[in-house]
Amino acid sequence: MKNETVDVLIIGAGASGAAIAWSLLETRMRILCLEQGPHVADKDYPSRDDDYELSRYGKFSCDPNVRGLKQDYPINADDSCITPVNFNAVGGSTINFLGHWPRMKPSDFRTKSLDGVAEDWPVNYAMLAPFYAMNDETTGVSGLGGNPAYPDYTPPLPPIPMGKLGQTLAKGFNKMGWHWWPSDVSILSQDYDGRQKCVNAGTCDLGCAAGAKGGTNFTYWPILENAGVELRTESRVREITVDQSTGFATGVIYHGPDGQVHEQKAELVIVACNGVGTPRLLLNSKSKMFPDGLANRSGMVGKNLMFHPLTGVSGVFNEPMKGHEGPMACSILSQEFYENDPSRDFMRGYGLHSGRSTTPMTYALGGYGVDNPIPWGAQHREVMDNVYPYLAGLTVVAEDLPEEHNRVTLDPDLTDSDGIPAPKITYRLGDNSRKMLKHGEERAKEVLMAAGAKKVLTKGDDDVWWRAGWHQMGTCRMGNDPKKSIVNSWGRSHDVKNLFIVDGSIFVTAGAVNPTSTIQALSLYIGDSIKNNIETLFD
Amino acid sequence: MWTERENDLLIAVLDELIPANKKVGVPAAGALGVAGFLPTATSYAPDPVGSVKAVLKSIIDKSSDFTMLEGVEKIALLRDVETENAVDFGTLVQLTYMGYYSRPEVRSMFGVGAHAVQPKGYDVPRESDEFMESLTAPVRARGKFFRVV
Repeated sequence: MKNETVDVLIIGAGASGAAIAWSLLETRMRILCLEQGPHVADKDYPSRDDDYELSRYGKFSCDPNVRGLKQDYPINADDSCITPVNFNAVGGSTINFLGHWPRMKPSDFRTKSLDGVAEDWPVNYAMLAPFYAMNDETTGVSGLGGNPAYPDYTPPLPPIPMGKLGQTLAKGFNKMGWHWWPSDVSILSQDYDGRQKCVNAGTCDLGCAAGAKGGTNFTYWPILENAGVELRTESRVREITVDQSTGFATGVIYHGPDGQVHEQKAELVIVACNGVGTPRLLLNSKSKMFPDGLANRSGMVGKNLMFHPLTGVSGVFNEPMKGHEGPMACSILSQEFYENDPSRDFMRGYGLHSGRSTTPMTYALGGYGVDNPIPWGAQHREVMDNVYPYLAGLTVVAEDLPEEHNRVTLDPDLTDSDGIPAPKITYRLGDNSRKMLKHGEERAKEVLMAAGAKKVLTKGDDDVWWRAGWHQMGTCRMGNDPKKSIVNSWGRSHDVKNLFIVDGSIFVTAGAVNPTSTIQALSLYIGDSIKNNIETLFD
Repeated sequence: MWTERENDLLIAVLDELIPANKKVGVPAAGALGVAGFLPTATSYAPDPVGSVKAVLKSIIDKSSDFTMLEGVEKIALLRDVETENAVDFGTLVQLTYMGYYSRPEVRSMFGVGAHAVQPKGYDVPRESDEFMESLTAPVRARGKFFRVV
């Protein structure tokens, strides 16, 4: 098959690329996926090493600028208060994501109609619900059915343990009369589909060597490769090519593992590089027909970048909380302040997420995603001996609103190891998000005290977490209006009829939940739409 | 890497950055041997030896024998060096924390397993259905809690 024209070319083997490949399997089309990273064997995950924590600051950092591996592209975040984080390998960022799996809520798709902010999505919760469920089955999602904060659904597996920390906080929420629920997680609470259940290692960010976390390297890719989907690793796409007479995508130019530049022709091109990588690729794909970047006649490619700005509050309790035992970001989730409330001084809302605490080195160095070491000297001893073991915390996860000035562009100087221009992030925290985080911080203090904390610790400044750019959304958004959006209601480019985008870049709004569950549900929905429209796909 | 004098000084400095807790048998960083980690830490700082030497030189410039100072004098001197050479001092602090807490026996002193967390992990029992039913009862009692669109 090599270098022959393929039916479907998918760029990126992460969450969305794997899901749409799976969806399209039944069409028996020839599918090729190009992935810039390698396969990473689970035996190479650092959680098998005695000094596993060190890798967070080197080869397994979530920050590509820290890792600096050949397959990573640098990101200029000098003009941003949040830096994007990711992983480049088969599985993409699902290798080192934390597996928190909440769905978006029905109101998230209707923010303009309901609350007068941002835009409505061209799809809704009911349309995506079957694909959420389908993805949950394939991925292996654990959780407790009956969450009153959502329309009815039940995850396929029972919840993972909340542990002492989660139970303690849950009782605090009950005292306040506030909503909470055990987190939905893409982490196995039981052996499932040939994969081992979670061993509560607490190092989800270092790759799950048990295979319990639902990275697509453990879920979709074994199925796909067995079924004949071709996966070319260490293959970095430089640009998508276009027939200048028809305006159709013809394939890609990519740098292969042999160090050579290759051309690959395709009938259909699907981009799955997420909210930074996708606009970067489109902006790098310039031609006479698309002088400002592919699929960018609207000028909207790269704009409306949304993250989930985060801040954290910790309570110091009387007993050790054993927060390092169990999936690190997943215990309970409160959506008490999620829906819009006109009486507040901000629009939309946020979640209060109870992660677990981290390991001693990471705490001493400032916590996960923060570069602010705790004091040295006698204070160091005091904090590590009398605070660290007794911590339970809450993370305020704010819904970021789309703002055009927050964007991805191409850096004029910075390139990756193949000489391809790197992305530059321009991002400023909006006033709305700032007020939301402040409100969340106050509520988190209240519930921690209600849970029995003897003391509450905050960062004491207005800064958000620096390495909080996991969730990269909005830079190629969906919509019915080609002047205001990049792709239509089923992921097809308005400008290029055989080009689809399936990743977080097509989000219209951000919600206040981790997006991977929705990214994959959307990807499956788009795959289904392609199949349903196959006879008129390029009309 | 460094002279015997520098090595003695470095151990004394490390003991101040992370002091011991003798009551519970937690060692100080110098006594634990963190000095040996620093030159190997090139994955975590561009020039760890250079940063350490810069800090040591600043200390020597201020005191002919740091090791003989009283505790409060040592702290005051280190605070001065931290202010004057924040980058190198910050690197030393960061690498000291890495070298110290990467030792499995240290983790266990803070209630965290000394073992590599894969494949053994931790035994955390799942809450019983009855317990979860009881704990979530107040939440369920409030009824549906989302906007119907």
